[in-house]
Amino acid sequence: MDRQQEFVLRTVEERDIRFIRLWFTDVLGVLKSVAVAPAELEQAFTEGIGFDGSSIEGLTRVYEADMIAKPDPTTFQVLPWRGDRHGTGRMFCDILTPDGEPSLADSRNVLKRALAKASDRGFTFYTHPEVEFYLFNQLAAPEDPLVPVDNGGYFDHLARGSTHDFRRAAITMLESMGISVEFSHHEAGPGQNEIDLRYADALTTADNLMTFRTVVKEVALEQGVFASFMPKPMADQPGSGMHTHLSLFEDDQNAFHEPGAQFELSKTARQFIAGLLVHAAEITAVTNQYVNSYKRLWGGAEAPSYICWGHNNRSALVRVPMYKPGKGNSARVEYRALDSAANPYLAFAVLLAAGLKGIEDGYELPEATGDDVWELTDRERRALGIAPLPQSLDEAIELMERSELVAETLGEHVYDFVLRNKRQEWDAYRAQVTPYELRRFLQNL
Amino acid sequence: MTARPPTLTGRLLHAGFADLTRSASLWSDPGLQEAFASPGREDALLGAVAGCADPDLALLQLVRLAENPEARTRLGELLDEDAPPRARTRLLAVLGASSALGDEVVRRPELLDLLAAPDGAAADAPDLEDVDGADDEDGEDGGDPGPRTVAGPAEVRAALLRAVGADPAAEVPVAADPDAGPGVGWPDAGAATTTDALRRAYRARLLALAADDLTASEPLMRMPVVGAALADLAAAALDAALAVARAELDDHGAGVRLAVVGMGKTGGRELNYVSDVDVVYVCEPGALPGGSVLDEPTALATGTRLATGLQRVCSAASAEPALWPVDAALRPEGAQGPLVRTLASHLAYYERWAQTWEFQALLKARPVAGDADLGRDYRAAVDPFIWSAVHREHFVEDARAMRRRVEQHVPAAEADRQIKLGKGGLRDVEFTVQLLQLVHGRADPKIRSPHTLAALAALAAGGYVGREHAARMAVCYRFLRALEHRVQLFRLRRTHLLPTAEEDLRRLARSLGMRAEGATGLLERWRATRREVRALHEEVFYRPLLPASAQLSDAELSLSPDVARERFAAVGYRDPDGAMRHVTALTSGTSRRAALQRQLLPVLLGWFAEGADPDAGLLAFRKLSETLGATPWYLRLLRDSENAAYHLTRLLASSTYLAEALARSPESVRWLADTSGLEPRGPERLAAEVDALLTRADEPKAAAQRLRALRRRELARTGAAEVLGLLPPVDAAAAISDAADVVLAGGLRVAEHAARVELGLGAGENPTRMLVVAMGRLGGREMGYGSDADVMFVHEPVPGAEPQVAQDFATRAATRLRALLSEVGPEPTLPVDADLRPEGRQGPLVRTLESYAEYYGRWSSVWESQALLRARPVAGDVGGDGSLGSQFEVLVDPLRWPAGGLDDAPLREVRRIKARVEAERLPRGADPARHLKLGRGGVSDVEWTAQLLQLQHAAEVPGLRTTGTVAALDAATVAGLLDAEDAAQLRDAWVLASRLRSAVVLWSGRTTGAQTDRLPHDSRDLTGVAALLGDVGTGGELEELYLRTARRARAVMERVFYGED
Repeated sequence: MDRQQEFVLRTVEERDIRFIRLWFTDVLGVLKSVAVAPAELEQAFTEGIGFDGSSIEGLTRVYEADMIAKPDPTTFQVLPWRGDRHGTGRMFCDILTPDGEPSLADSRNVLKRALAKASDRGFTFYTHPEVEFYLFNQLAAPEDPLVPVDNGGYFDHLARGSTHDFRRAAITMLESMGISVEFSHHEAGPGQNEIDLRYADALTTADNLMTFRTVVKEVALEQGVFASFMPKPMADQPGSGMHTHLSLFEDDQNAFHEPGAQFELSKTARQFIAGLLVHAAEITAVTNQYVNSYKRLWGGAEAPSYICWGHNNRSALVRVPMYKPGKGNSARVEYRALDSAANPYLAFAVLLAAGLKGIEDGYELPEATGDDVWELTDRERRALGIAPLPQSLDEAIELMERSELVAETLGEHVYDFVLRNKRQEWDAYRAQVTPYELRRFLQNL
Repeated sequence: MTARPPTLTGRLLHAGFADLTRSASLWSDPGLQEAFASPGREDALLGAVAGCADPDLALLQLVRLAENPEARTRLGELLDEDAPPRARTRLLAVLGASSALGDEVVRRPELLDLLAAPDGAAADAPDLEDVDGADDEDGEDGGDPGPRTVAGPAEVRAALLRAVGADPAAEVPVAADPDAGPGVGWPDAGAATTTDALRRAYRARLLALAADDLTASEPLMRMPVVGAALADLAAAALDAALAVARAELDDHGAGVRLAVVGMGKTGGRELNYVSDVDVVYVCEPGALPGGSVLDEPTALATGTRLATGLQRVCSAASAEPALWPVDAALRPEGAQGPLVRTLASHLAYYERWAQTWEFQALLKARPVAGDADLGRDYRAAVDPFIWSAVHREHFVEDARAMRRRVEQHVPAAEADRQIKLGKGGLRDVEFTVQLLQLVHGRADPKIRSPHTLAALAALAAGGYVGREHAARMAVCYRFLRALEHRVQLFRLRRTHLLPTAEEDLRRLARSLGMRAEGATGLLERWRATRREVRALHEEVFYRPLLPASAQLSDAELSLSPDVARERFAAVGYRDPDGAMRHVTALTSGTSRRAALQRQLLPVLLGWFAEGADPDAGLLAFRKLSETLGATPWYLRLLRDSENAAYHLTRLLASSTYLAEALARSPESVRWLADTSGLEPRGPERLAAEVDALLTRADEPKAAAQRLRALRRRELARTGAAEVLGLLPPVDAAAAISDAADVVLAGGLRVAEHAARVELGLGAGENPTRMLVVAMGRLGGREMGYGSDADVMFVHEPVPGAEPQVAQDFATRAATRLRALLSEVGPEPTLPVDADLRPEGRQGPLVRTLESYAEYYGRWSSVWESQALLRARPVAGDVGGDGSLGSQFEVLVDPLRWPAGGLDDAPLREVRRIKARVEAERLPRGADPARHLKLGRGGVSDVEWTAQLLQLQHAAEVPGLRTTGTVAALDAATVAGLLDAEDAAQLRDAWVLASRLRSAVVLWSGRTTGAQTDRLPHDSRDLTGVAALLGDVGTGGELEELYLRTARRARAVMERVFYGED
């Protein structure tokens, strides 16, 4: 029993906590939870809690159903929405095989492996996500039209705005769980909000994002509305992305920063960006994992549909934010394709791997693009060497199937599972006859 | 006769000089002669020289010393008759054993006074009992440990601090202002900087210490005292260096608490003369003069500067030679990590990231310099980590890997000269002691000393190792350490290599009190010590696991059940209770067998623990011994041949298949005696054996059983050779196929005989000539342990024979052959599968050559051509040009190697068939990614690809006319039909899948069933299979490797075979 574990046991005792939820994430990024009583906690720490993994997406092969969830005591938090008395705590878990080996199917473990690889090269990986999502009034039936909770726009301050209250409540709750919020505001779409999490190491950020989604949904329900992280819920309104700022640190030094260089970007940063660009297309099935994701990517506005980078270029895939003098340690790059529905563990792992590959193989960074890439013609873009991201999940899967980088980062098991699962999703989607087709063709043909 | 006064040469000879001419001329050196001015001095010198390690070297240094007038005078006084003899003995001992320290004395003659000084029985004598605990235990080598003139740690520290102008009594000592200058800031006028002052003071102390060491009457007894004194001296130097580093900062690093924690030998207080000093730095903010507390980032930044400064003082270039490198690589994250950390940051790392070996290293952590309170806090805080390390996941594997590292990291050229590393070296002793501490120290705080000898003594006192073994191990350790000390002293270089030159070895022998034994004697003792250390690991670790009743003498120790259970589990036995039962069964009783087992078992237990399944190995060994125990040669073989015993444990602990095979025919154990018994017999010898065997036989069934027994024996032989790494996988597959070949040939003879009897024909009256054509893996000589024999039967009636009789005879013979080889019986079957024949199971079992010609002329479909690619006449009428075998080949060659390759239609057909096979043949529920034969990128994918290339191009590329898969891929690459990289991916996948199929059989012992063609899921099986393959890492790594290799091969296959992309 180490000190962290003792701390958790003591807290549970002192605060009279009646249940502890053990959280983990399936391969698609959906949060799973199993509750244990305080009496079982000590055993959970030493041996883990056994469960049947066969019904969890991608977690096991059917014939090896027994899995073990082992809580990570450093992630212990009390869940604020469960009330103060007889509260409920939660911890994230690592998934182990029955022999105590880290499961190859655990996405948290995928990220841990990727981080360990970076750490072997002396790097720590930090991320800072800007999460967008919509708030809608509750639907009486699934086919009812969507009604956003307000009609505000970017940065609008709405008098007695319900979303204002919402954000305040959500942020209070997040902060009470030790998750620092950097920034929050109303986004461009009606009912759309953005909350930015403070930067932290990638594993913590990924854990925080899982908590974040839960908290946002809980608070929305408390306020009689519902929240959705769907990448593109309404065709004529902006999609919900998760622009994520990435940086590497060596010891306490930001490895991306080099005073005096162009955009203050070090060679490491330039190679990292080059890695992101070279591998952007093949990792898209992970960073944008649903059929709906591609409607956001190709839905116009500021969506990053083309593989290019720029300095304060709002439509580039990779953006290098304006440098603030004297803030060398805040040097970072922003990856803009990611959406709010991604599995953060896997997404961060492939982004890191792509960037590291650029550093390892010394990729050359192409010219920055200053133009709004959307304005160019296809021919112009081709002349500039700017390739598009995949246009559909189908195309993204095909690219991922040929990717050694993704296979090595996810491990063969997760890689294979994601491909099969996404192939099924695509097949099911393709079989749909949509309202659009009915409207367009039914009477006319 | 009156005694003639001895000549100078005679006196020199008597004193031990080697080069008499040169020493005589040096002796008459004017400077030296001047020092001899007073009578008796020459004799005094000769007397002292006789005791030193290298008189020639000592004399040379004396001559150099005497060149300096001041030194000459002092030297003369030292040689005076009434001067205490001890001073000159000390001087000569140093000059004769260390050219580096001799040079130092020549450079700084004032050091002569230091050697002349009376024994400095120090004010606060070191608590030598602490470090010398082993003395009480191993009274064996008794004797006088020599003069204990070593100063205590506090005194040494004070002396070195004063040397740099720091106040030893200060809470945070700070050296003198660097600009103050010698004589003002620090006492030593010969030093330009505090750094030099420290180094000079250090070396003076080192000189005195070496003099004590070299004049000790029992160097081995003295060794722990020397090691402790050297560690104290290093600790003092670190403290003084820190004081210098503080002086270099404007505020002297105020408010920064820095503890220097010694690791390795420094931490163990058992340091070498010259060695990296391993440290870890702990840094915390402290109170500032005003009472406020410094913030953490500033404290860490300053702490880093202090640590860097300290290292510079110790090891950067300066006027005086450097002390030693300060190595902080054992810190969290190693060289990648920050140089200093807070205590909390250390603990956070140890909680989350640290590897098992790091906890082993922490065992030696001891605060040695800087902030003592912080150092103590650190040690107390890391303690729980160390003592729970044994319960970490993978402790067993990690410990095994650590031991391998100990043994392997030796360049071959140095292997015979390494004192520290390698089998039987110092590390080996240290590893044994530390492993025992980690395993048992959790429950017993008394055995936690970081000092190797003290820990060993405590382990013996606590009943964890036998007293006698502990004592012998302690002697070995002391000898190796003393030897290492002497080697390092010579040039004050960090080396752990025994020199090779005769004069160097002679000097070493003499300096260790082995004058009579000389160079040869030293080498002998060194080799004997290494052998003993190697054996002692097993004796110390495993011997006490034997029950008390089985101990060789009353002095032996037997562990209590709880302790034994801990130890069995720590080395990888999953069922310690079971293991204890087996050990008891093997060693109980008064039989000769039990007596021998008691001798052997400790070593064997260690070897089983290296295998993938120690429990199964021990159980199999017990069974084998129960069968064979009474056989005289069995135990003799194991006792006399270390190789045989080792190989046996390897086989039993890693392969169920071989454990069963050896139990079945125990005489096979004899093959292990020398590995030539494991070489494949080769087809000729096997054919001759079959011949002899059939000549003796009279009854078909009995004869077939003998043939099958022969094949079983060859399978076991091949398996053993493959598992022991003596036979590459491709050769193993060929050997298995050879055995099948001869069994088919012999079986056909028996079957023909039976058919003749049935039809009432006499010998030599066969109505037809028979031929068995090998197909599939047999045809390619690529069989595995569980492969069937795919064949086709051909016959050709002899001239004048009735066609109907001939066909009847041939059918009977073929049917009998299949029955004889596959019907139930005591010996393993060789299922003979003829499904590849024309018309498959609907067609006749045997056809005439003419019928084959007619069939292929009419029907020949592309899949048949493909199958024929691997056709190889194997039994019956196969020899020579006109034989049926060669006629058959002439018939099928144009089919399998079609001129002009494949047209579009057959090409499409092959691809369609393959696609259909993929969809239908895979067993229900099998994961295509893990099916080694039919799965994605499995053997079938690669073989179809190779075969398609053969069909397309064999007509014009002769190299493609082969039945072997790898040979076909190679030929296609040479001919430019296949990209070299693609070929490599296909070959890798095919070889790995084939090896895996064999390994699965060898590991599980099952030759049939759905699991034999699958990559195991169960992680224990995976681990076992990975261990058998030997070069693929852990089970998890093997899984990744296979899935990746197969995925890549599949991508190549889709391109090359299906023509996609």
